[in-house]
Formats: sequence, structure tokens, C-alpha cells
Amino acid sequence: MIRIEEAAWQVMLDHAYKAYPRECCGILLGVEQGDGERVVTSSFPCRNAYEGDQSDRFQIDPRDQVRANLKSRSEEIDILGFFHSHPDCDAYFSATDLKNSWPWYSNVVLSIRHGEIAGAAAFRANEDQSHSEAEELLYPSALPVLAADPAEEAPSVESPA
Amino acid sequence: MAKVLIPTPLRQYAGNQKEVEVAGSTVGEILTTLTSDFADLRKHLYTDEGKLRSFVNVYLNDDDVRYLDKDKTVAASSDTLSIVPSIAGGSR
Repeated sequence: MIRIEEAAWQVMLDHAYKAYPRECCGILLGVEQGDGERVVTSSFPCRNAYEGDQSDRFQIDPRDQVRANLKSRSEEIDILGFFHSHPDCDAYFSATDLKNSWPWYSNVVLSIRHGEIAGAAAFRANEDQSHSEAEELLYPSALPVLAADPAEEAPSVESPA
Repeated sequence: MAKVLIPTPLRQYAGNQKEVEVAGSTVGEILTTLTSDFADLRKHLYTDEGKLRSFVNVYLNDDDVRYLDKDKTVAASSDTLSIVPSIAGGSR
């Protein structure tokens, strides 16, 4: 399970709003507790470095990851995962998301429709990125948690950047 | 010795350490020593042909070594080498 605290959630939403109709992306920072629950205490908005149409693609600028890493070390927290938005799409984990992800990390996907947040879901990839599983997601909002089936809506695979 | 920062998914292959002090005067030497000390790390960082995997970025302090002198980039003992997972995706 991954739980996102209010300040971190607000940063994620603001980043998604500002980026719309392009995809936003960022980093989730916090702690993994003894029972395996992950608590996101802050989020780090990143530049979308994808060179092309960003309405349906993102690439986290690795320079932002280096900065987030420094922040996590100084605050003695960890990089728990990443977030990105799907403008005018549901919050599924697409084949492109899966293929360009890493195991262990939590991946939070925000659905933003017509400029408004419409849902969110979290996923984790397995070791060889052949499969992902929905992860229970808690966030400070009355929005429904969409645990969309990746196979239900995700379009066909495209070669990674 | 330079400090190498290990991303969480790879720590299990590096003795569960967040960072490792590694001897070497270039990025190549440091990574060679690192993957000799922790052999399981090698396949996660390099292809069978010995090239750095495309979804792995290596930063010397704030700079991507691909845009410096790659493996030949000189590293001082005060430098920090970050192994940075490449993260991308999208709705289609």
C-alpha cells in the first residue's frame, strides 16, 4: 500500500494541472515502514524531457532525479517511486509505462480530464517489467481510486524512447 | 575513494547499501571495481557487450557521463557518482 500525505498530493495535482494537456512527471519521496506500507511525505515535480509530443509521453529529466536524490539523502528519506499524468485518459499503467519502468518503485498515475483530476491509481512492475500489479493507493481526497485493468484500455506497445 | 549512490532496486545486489565507497581515478575504473565487488550488479548496469544499458544513467555529481568523457571521465575522491534509473512512459 502507498499513502500520500496532503502536501505531497497537492504538489502532484498542481504539477498535473500546469502541465495539462501534456503529461507531467515527478518523484515520490518518503519512507517504507516495517509493515511494507509506503508513506509519501513529499513529491518532487520534474521536467518532462521527452522530445516529441508530450500529450501522451513523458521522460523524467535525470538531472531532477539527481537533485531529488540529494534531497532524500539530506532528509533521510527514500525515493519510493514516480508519478505522471494521463491527460484525457484513465489512470491505467500502459504498456509504454511498464516497459519504461523499474521494479520495486511505486508508480502513481493521475487521470486528468478537461483539466480536472478524475482519478488516480498506483502500480508496481515485476522484476523483468513483463507484468504490473495494482497497488492500493490512499490519498487525501474524495476522488475514487481507479484500479483500472492495464489490458482494458492501454493501447498497443510503442518502442521506448 | 569516490562515493557511488545505489538506487533502491539495485541495493539488493550491493549488500543492501545505499552508497558504496569505491577506488578508481576514472568513472570506468570505479564502475569496474564496483561490479567486481558486487558481481550481480554488472548484468543490471551493462549489456552482454559491456555497454552501459540504455535505461541506466550515470551522473558524476551533476553531469551525465555520456556527455563528458564517458568511461574515461576523471573522478576525484571527493566526487559522487549516481546510478540513476531512466524512467519514462505515457498513456500510449
